[in-house]
Amino acid sequence: MVSLQRTIRNMRRVGLKEWWRQLQYIGDAKAGTYVGKDQFGNRYFENRNPEEEVPGRHRWVDFAQHDYNATQVPPEWHSWIHHIRKDAPTNDPVMQSSSPPWKATYIENLTGTRGAYKSYNTVVPKINAWEPKVKTRV
Amino acid sequence: MSLIFKSAISSAGRRAAFPSQVGPTAYRSLHTSRPLNQAEQQQASVAAEPSREPAPRLAQQGSMQLSLETPQNKAEYVLSTLDKVTNWARQGSMWPMTFGLACCAVEMMHMAAARYDQDRLGVVFRASPRQSDIMIVAGTLTNKMAPALRKVYDQMPEPRWVISMGSCANGGGYYHYSYSVVRGCDRIVPVDIYVPGCPPTAEALLYGMLQLQRKMRRSRQGVLWYRK
Repeated sequence: MVSLQRTIRNMRRVGLKEWWRQLQYIGDAKAGTYVGKDQFGNRYFENRNPEEEVPGRHRWVDFAQHDYNATQVPPEWHSWIHHIRKDAPTNDPVMQSSSPPWKATYIENLTGTRGAYKSYNTVVPKINAWEPKVKTRV
Repeated sequence: MSLIFKSAISSAGRRAAFPSQVGPTAYRSLHTSRPLNQAEQQQASVAAEPSREPAPRLAQQGSMQLSLETPQNKAEYVLSTLDKVTNWARQGSMWPMTFGLACCAVEMMHMAAARYDQDRLGVVFRASPRQSDIMIVAGTLTNKMAPALRKVYDQMPEPRWVISMGSCANGGGYYHYSYSVVRGCDRIVPVDIYVPGCPPTAEALLYGMLQLQRKMRRSRQGVLWYRK
């Protein structure tokens, strides 16, 4: 649980700079073992000591981007951070050997940017801009 | 590593073999904008050398939004900072007006309950439209309910946002061909966020709320006013 003692202890463990970053982004002082880094630069941590972290909060991600959201976690790491798989993809032999060759590159949710997914339509548009047709005067 | 490399080679070979749009990225490269294609090409070469630029940044290149977000003089710098403060204040206390119409409302209640705990984001349900700034339309909107929905929406103070929750509110859903159902609540009110699902999970709705926060964060009203 969050306490002053824990905050000070974790601050001394991770260092002042990292602690400040955690307060800005995670909102909590956390200390644990560094598990790995994905292709986007997000860093993953784990602390399985139930005395130090509440079980359920023992795996966490430090996002690389300032404007972060949960879809920036690629699927391999998603399955680790949500406890679908026990081992991290960096040392999970099953995950490493069963990556299919047809797998597309992972892109985060680009909603709201120009890269947003747009489904395409094959029927006639229901809404049309007004195109005035002036009849020639007799 | 060798596997990644091999897969990269094989996919490149496949792309060469099928020059038309048959490759794995065909459906996106056809129907998305040019900046995303650039992003994808950058991402495709990620095995060789990882690109430092994140995908949303690449997708925003050359857009109006990016131009608004980069101040060009001191006045714009001040105004965009003020905009950011406004956005921060708005996104920190989103008070949704609950418009629970059907089973989606149960999932909306789950978002308020202990597991997903919307209160930690400052999202508090208000019973009055005059004190709320978001409307969550959760459920099937019938023809009979539509005037009431519009009335409630008109009672909300500006700025206001609408989240359409579930396939019935998005576009009629299961009742699309019914004689008494509005085919999407966007025929009645302007919708900001569509949450798909039937019903969407509480997690999905919470993600929709986070996406709405993201939308609020993009707002640059002051800079827009100054540039005009």
